[in-house]
Amino acid sequence: MFIRAPKDFWSGLMFLSFAGVALLAANGYSMGRGGRMGPAYFPTLLGCVLALLGLILVVRSFAIHGEAIGQIQLRPLVVLTACVILFGLTIQPLGLVIALTLTTFAAAFSGRETRVREAALLSCGLTLIAVTIFVFALRLPLPIWPSL
Amino acid sequence: MFFDVFSNIGLGLTVAASLQNLAYCSIGALLGTLVGVLPGIGPVTTVAMLLPISFTLEPTSALIMMAGIYYGAQYGGSTTAILINIPGEPSSVVTSLDGHQMARQGRAGPALGIAAIGSFFAGCVATFVIAFGAPPLAKLALQFGPAEYFSLMLCGLVAAIVLARGSVIKAIAMVVLGLLFGLAGSDVNSGIRRFTFGIQGLADGIEFVALSMAIYGVSEVAVNLEKKEEEVATVGVVGSLLPTMAELKYCTPSILRGTVLGSILGVLPGGGALLAAFAAYTLEKKVAKAPRNFGHGDIRGVAAPESANNAGAQTSFIPMLTLGIPSNPTMALMIGALMVHGITPGPRVMTDRPDLFWGVVASMWIGNLMLVVLNLPMVGIWVKLLRLPYRMMFPMIVGFCCIGAYTINTNITDIWVMAFFTVFGYFCLKLDCEPAPLILGFILGPMMEENLRRALLISRGDPGVFLQSPISIAFLVAAAGLLLIVAAPAIRAKREEALAE
Amino acid sequence: MNFKTTLRAMIAAPALCLMASAAFAQAFPNKPLRLVLPYSPGGIIDYVGRTMANALSGPLGQPVIAENRPGAGGITGTDTVARSAPDGYNLVLMDPAIVINPTLQPSMPYDLFKQLATVSIISTSPEVVVVAPELPIKNIADLVAYGKANPGKLNFASAGIGTTPHLAGELFKQRTGIDATHVPYKSIGQSYPDLMSNKVQFAFSSIAGALPFTADNRVRPIATSGTKRSSVYPDLPTVQEAGLAGFEVDLWLGIFAPAGTPADVVEKLNDAIQTVLKDPETIKALAKVGVEPRGTSAKDGEAFLKNEFGKWKKVIEDGNIKDQ
Repeated sequence: MFIRAPKDFWSGLMFLSFAGVALLAANGYSMGRGGRMGPAYFPTLLGCVLALLGLILVVRSFAIHGEAIGQIQLRPLVVLTACVILFGLTIQPLGLVIALTLTTFAAAFSGRETRVREAALLSCGLTLIAVTIFVFALRLPLPIWPSL
Repeated sequence: MFFDVFSNIGLGLTVAASLQNLAYCSIGALLGTLVGVLPGIGPVTTVAMLLPISFTLEPTSALIMMAGIYYGAQYGGSTTAILINIPGEPSSVVTSLDGHQMARQGRAGPALGIAAIGSFFAGCVATFVIAFGAPPLAKLALQFGPAEYFSLMLCGLVAAIVLARGSVIKAIAMVVLGLLFGLAGSDVNSGIRRFTFGIQGLADGIEFVALSMAIYGVSEVAVNLEKKEEEVATVGVVGSLLPTMAELKYCTPSILRGTVLGSILGVLPGGGALLAAFAAYTLEKKVAKAPRNFGHGDIRGVAAPESANNAGAQTSFIPMLTLGIPSNPTMALMIGALMVHGITPGPRVMTDRPDLFWGVVASMWIGNLMLVVLNLPMVGIWVKLLRLPYRMMFPMIVGFCCIGAYTINTNITDIWVMAFFTVFGYFCLKLDCEPAPLILGFILGPMMEENLRRALLISRGDPGVFLQSPISIAFLVAAAGLLLIVAAPAIRAKREEALAE
Repeated sequence: MNFKTTLRAMIAAPALCLMASAAFAQAFPNKPLRLVLPYSPGGIIDYVGRTMANALSGPLGQPVIAENRPGAGGITGTDTVARSAPDGYNLVLMDPAIVINPTLQPSMPYDLFKQLATVSIISTSPEVVVVAPELPIKNIADLVAYGKANPGKLNFASAGIGTTPHLAGELFKQRTGIDATHVPYKSIGQSYPDLMSNKVQFAFSSIAGALPFTADNRVRPIATSGTKRSSVYPDLPTVQEAGLAGFEVDLWLGIFAPAGTPADVVEKLNDAIQTVLKDPETIKALAKVGVEPRGTSAKDGEAFLKNEFGKWKKVIEDGNIKDQ
């Protein structure tokens, strides 16, 4: 017995795990009584449907052939996710200028070819435009510089 | 009656065409387009920022400007959806499906052009719909109670499955998962916080902008970076910059269908306008010839939802102007602005302040014309932007997404949400689980549950309430029929597959 | 975490008090102030907040910047001010949710009475009782009689769990003994279509929310909930006049500062608020949304806050609202 449709298998597994989390969390809420549907009712229902669908996908993946998953390169994904987190960590303490320059500069390193000077110029330019538009023109309450 | 309407439109045009009102109309349309393109600032924020200024204006001018911002933003949102595949507004999710494919094939110009032309046409028609049909349509809106809304949403969700290109089971699963994500946050009916895992920043649920920017923006970049630069780079401009006559003719039926659907759905204050673009796309995929082209850069896949979207945005003014019921937060702001001016929105506005009512209606037509005039010359500039090599584009996209997700609520949790959905979105793309059904489920989920529970609360738990009104029954039947249509090819394919083995 | 912050605030407060009053007393305010509005734009808080911010710039001599910080039923915005420096430059405008949230929510990021101080309760605004027009209900007595004659049939709308319209309805049920099912909406405005079609029978609505519908009798107003009649509905009796002694629901608004803000700074802010609330322009602007100026002293405000807290806590506990 082996997996014939890896995409279906793994997506089924993903749906199953989300269904598990949903059912587990919904377990803590009330199902409601009588005509008064509780906060757990709808999520539980959805969780069951999702689990069923996930199960069908997993079972079917052993029976029916499907495409293979394309190659997975972790570098772009990891670097980009790290960039988003970096922005989140820096925006409040360091302000928009530093956070955005850092984030866009770092993001440039997720590609296969990075030109450091170009990336540095690009990130500075972007930050300049962003600050002009969002802070000066639109007056959004964003910190520009580090707050001490 | 017929004559009245024309004399009223005449009155409206004289009001709207005054120099002052023309100026506010163009400011509104321009600002709206701008905030539609920019991440993290939507029409609500813009109208709110301008609210204090509006108190000093004539109420008609104020409303004309706010209306311009509203429909301008609907239009601007499609620009980013087409160019960089980031839908800033829920309604432009559908536009990105075919619009961005077109851009990748070097046809960003026609995509942007048809969006402008379709929107303009739909806007013109919707203006007349408001002029002729506002009072009867307002009555239709009042026929919708919780049960009717629930059935409508259910129908919309089934339609979401049609959005998908691939496996039906995966599409259904993505809709359900979207519904679950949509439920996070404070529950309207009990006040309990669900799926927040004790995080204060999730108390109001998962932010749409963070979710869509993660999946469509950052995840997409991650997938693209695995390819070689040549594969990702968009083709240079192919063919003409604007849609050709042949393309226009090809799109005409789609624009017409989209306009009709959008005009009707827009009238429903409980989320009808949101459904317009999705519904129009689904309809096209089922009705139009050569449906296989959809999702691969079919120009009709841009024309229909954009027309529907704009028509819906326009007719959603009907419940506000004639009933005083806000269809969305922007409308709520406009009602607030009117009340400060001492005007109570409701059926009497039409008779007490015909200059205001007809002036605003006429200004919408003028505003739509301005949008086309403003935006068609912009197409060339936008298309040039696409010539940038991808290694320069993607840091921009990432920065754009980060700012957008943060500024929308200045809530740091939205950034963590975006990081989570970047990873999630990446695997979805890798596993052929399409995000569009997820997004629709996400948007409709909370509204659907709210109306389901409200309907059952009022009927004291009797599910028969969904079969008591003809409107609700009609939607349920439509949903069942749609489900059959969707499932039929899948079932047939499976049987063939089984027979082949 | 919560305890720690509180502790820190308690230790820091007196010290800061001394420092601040010495250094800043003369100078306050010497930079722009921030008035946080913890709800989305468009509501009463937003309008009153912006009106007040504009007006306060006059007597304070510094711009007052209104900032929307919506989220979690007002908790997010209030929390940002509760955590900010107690120097008088950070203020928040809040409605009764500020005293309802601590009872209703299982956990709060701040302690209302330890981390926030009342500057002034600035305004008062009754709620208006509206009923579906097709019902033969013309006054409060009719409503009670109808409820008693049709047990289990009445529904009342609200703007969500724990909002003033909800708790007002619960208080009304508790006081009159009628049975009615609570149907929450996201905002009171959304409930009006169902009120007009008699799917929901009555509601305690904000005046601003009710005006578009009562102006032409698409829903019927039958009473207001204040101690005296509302200037917007001078012909409507109050619920008290209709026979429910002591029944009062007030959609008041208050301005709060972080606890530990120096007393003289609070005093200065309170003076500015009092001045502004006597200005006919401000009074006129507030009246447009059915809000009347009040302007308590800081001390009276604090007492009022404690009283309101106790009142709603009792309604929530008696009505078993948390257990739904």
